[in-house]
Amino acid sequence: MEIYRHACPRNCFSTCGMLSYIEDGKLVKVSGDAKHGYNQGRLCAKGYAYTQYVYNPYRLKHPIRQTPRGSGNWKRITWEEAYDCIADKILELNERYGSNLASGYNKFSGNIGLLHYAVEGMFNSIGPHTKPVGNPCLITGEQAMRKSFGQMNRMMPEKMAEMNAIVIWGANPAVTNVHQMKFILQARQKGAKLIVIDPIFTRTAATADIFIQINPGTDRWLALGVAKLLIESNMYDEEFVRNQTVNWEEFHQYVTEQVDLHEVCRETGISLDVLCELLSIYSMPKPCATWIGFGIQRNENGGQNISAINTLAMLGCQSGQENRCVYYSHSGIDDFPVNLLNHEGPVHPIVQHSREIDINNFAENASKLVEPPLKFLWIALRNPLSQDQDFQAWESLMKELELIVTVDLFMTKTAEMSDLVLPAASHFEEMDVNVSYWHHWLSINEKAISPYYEAKSDLQIARELMEKLNERFPGFSNFPSEREPIDWIREELTPSVKKLYSIESIDDLLESPRLRGEEGKNLSSSAFKFRLFSEENTDTSTYSMNREKTDVEESYPFQLLTPQSLLKIHSQYEAMPWLNQGAEQAVVELSEYAAEKRGILEGDKVELFNPNGKIAAIARISRFLPQKVILVNQAGKNPINRLIAHKPQENPGKSSMNFYDSSVNIRKWCETNG
Amino acid sequence: MRQMVKQMGFVFNVDLCFGCMACEIACRNENQTDSTVRWRKVSRLTDDTFLSVSCNHCNSPECFRVCPENAFTKRGDGIVQINSDLCTGCGLCIEACPYGAPQYDPVTQKASKCQMCYPRQDRGLPPACVESCSTEALTFVDLNTFCDKKIVGSIPGFPDTRLTNPSIAFYPATERKRYFLK
Repeated sequence: MEIYRHACPRNCFSTCGMLSYIEDGKLVKVSGDAKHGYNQGRLCAKGYAYTQYVYNPYRLKHPIRQTPRGSGNWKRITWEEAYDCIADKILELNERYGSNLASGYNKFSGNIGLLHYAVEGMFNSIGPHTKPVGNPCLITGEQAMRKSFGQMNRMMPEKMAEMNAIVIWGANPAVTNVHQMKFILQARQKGAKLIVIDPIFTRTAATADIFIQINPGTDRWLALGVAKLLIESNMYDEEFVRNQTVNWEEFHQYVTEQVDLHEVCRETGISLDVLCELLSIYSMPKPCATWIGFGIQRNENGGQNISAINTLAMLGCQSGQENRCVYYSHSGIDDFPVNLLNHEGPVHPIVQHSREIDINNFAENASKLVEPPLKFLWIALRNPLSQDQDFQAWESLMKELELIVTVDLFMTKTAEMSDLVLPAASHFEEMDVNVSYWHHWLSINEKAISPYYEAKSDLQIARELMEKLNERFPGFSNFPSEREPIDWIREELTPSVKKLYSIESIDDLLESPRLRGEEGKNLSSSAFKFRLFSEENTDTSTYSMNREKTDVEESYPFQLLTPQSLLKIHSQYEAMPWLNQGAEQAVVELSEYAAEKRGILEGDKVELFNPNGKIAAIARISRFLPQKVILVNQAGKNPINRLIAHKPQENPGKSSMNFYDSSVNIRKWCETNG
Repeated sequence: MRQMVKQMGFVFNVDLCFGCMACEIACRNENQTDSTVRWRKVSRLTDDTFLSVSCNHCNSPECFRVCPENAFTKRGDGIVQINSDLCTGCGLCIEACPYGAPQYDPVTQKASKCQMCYPRQDRGLPPACVESCSTEALTFVDLNTFCDKKIVGSIPGFPDTRLTNPSIAFYPATERKRYFLK
């Protein structure tokens, strides 16, 4: 039996070290890599299901073409035919419009290995084109963290095990970051208190010593309320405030004059004695970790929420700031050149730059493009017709597109609406190198098996397609097709990366994943200055505690939350029978209050609707949901994101998608509704 | 039943389990069982606790008692095995087991169940489920020698243990505070 080393490439905090066990060229088993210090030889349920992922009967085997689009009339074609069809279109559009701006892509996080930036590299190599910018997931929070701290924190998540208290705001690691739970529970076993603040009684909340349920999106009021109590009872760190904050007086005045504890309680739904309980945690002169989840920033007040929580976390705990840690994310990729992403293409005589579109409003913005319009769209590592917002905009964009190509392992909702679908390789079938957006480990991903049927990696597709273009039109692309995956990986391991991870060559990574060294400077250095919460650095200063009810809120009184579920990541893993058997029917969780108001019983077929559309689902009544919250899992046959559509954001490329600012109504299913 | 030299058994710490199901799928990864066959099952025990349970390799296994083919044996280390060559798939063990341990396998048309990864144990490795448990909520010990005052023989929600004397011990849940919205 052969054993290979891998990194799980999913859009997940854990980016686990993984081993594959190969018999006669077939993957027969996986295990965690015991040399990986974060996942420590274990995987999650999804990770343990990888044999079913690789040899799944629904996996795409060959390039296929559908005529007409959306008909389901698929025909198998050869890679040659696929490349010819794509090259024809790119070249024809180039001739028609005099540039490649009519060609573009939409790509995100289906595989976060560094070599999957081949998609960007491929498009860069043909000169100016149309590309998405921004990040639907976590950028609002990242901006807020940088505003507060001046930089991203670099605390190792393993250190949570040494804390005396861990306060989790809006994260659910029991579902989304399973391997962090051991560090949290290790601390808890040593006597630490685990506090979870969330609108949902999550699996993490169930594990907590103290669970505090909060009205969604109101975290900043809770944080500011507790901060006010800290200040009033003189339990904050005065030395820190004096030496290392930049706007204490302004903040102090704001808290004194603007933060009213009665309003805090009314807005958050949390009583004063619970605020005091949180005060006792944050005033404890012992190490305390605060973890801010991405859920906090999926609404229009996301940046404010995070700024307020940061402020509370840094003010408290009188024994010095080394005892205070705020976790959000780790920008591990910043250490790397990411050569594929940053590949420089040929200069165009007239068009100087690519056209950039905010990824969070891609479809609508792309539809508006003129001179030239967008005509060819390449979709890879993404399933927008399940996971993006505003499907109606996608549907109208697609009508204007002359060619849609999707690269995926499975027939996704997006692939179903494409002209060409190209089969992608799994991470067992390609080489790659991975870092995490949470922990500090660097892992190599070896190629362990031949690609499944005719599947290819994104990099391989880029190499071959660009070569094909150059055969037809010499010099069209400057993509270095001759370069092998290992060459790209070697180039990522720059001298500074090698120093940071204490490696000499790629061989060291083949031996073991490596931990990033800690830099000398940390938050206690005197140069560090912290920016306390202030209204001027908030996204929407007009936010009012006593919002007047709008017509929309009257007609669609329920807030829709769509968090991750345990056995999927977004729309991935749906086809694994070990994980998601019989999960065909969408389930909607509603409160007892909502059920009573609408006359809905457990198990009833219901309809969830708003102006964007409707979906049918089976009702599950929860005793623990806030009255006006409705919870639906992502993806599935009729994805819930059909009901999510948002106005363009003010800072293109600088905010996450406000997925949780969606309003819906619910009623019992009636055939005549349909 | 005679006293075994050893009695390997699972110890389940309710406080450390958050229902991630890694153990259940790690079992499938190791044993490549059919999608309908669940040798280990994770379920919700109460509103805030979970239970992960497989065959408990009982001291007085009902499967052993009811099987007309005498397909079950108990090894010296206490592991209850099923000999699939002898199994006719009659399903009596499936009905008799209080823990739902034996599973009907539609592919082989026989009963099958957790064998505590004895091939792994024989090589000095822990069962796959135990290895996969990131918080060590699920461990395994020799219950004949294991001693900890904090453990209990059963927890609320677990089936009656009197009939079969299962080889499982528990650390019960500690108290937790809940502040729900009114």
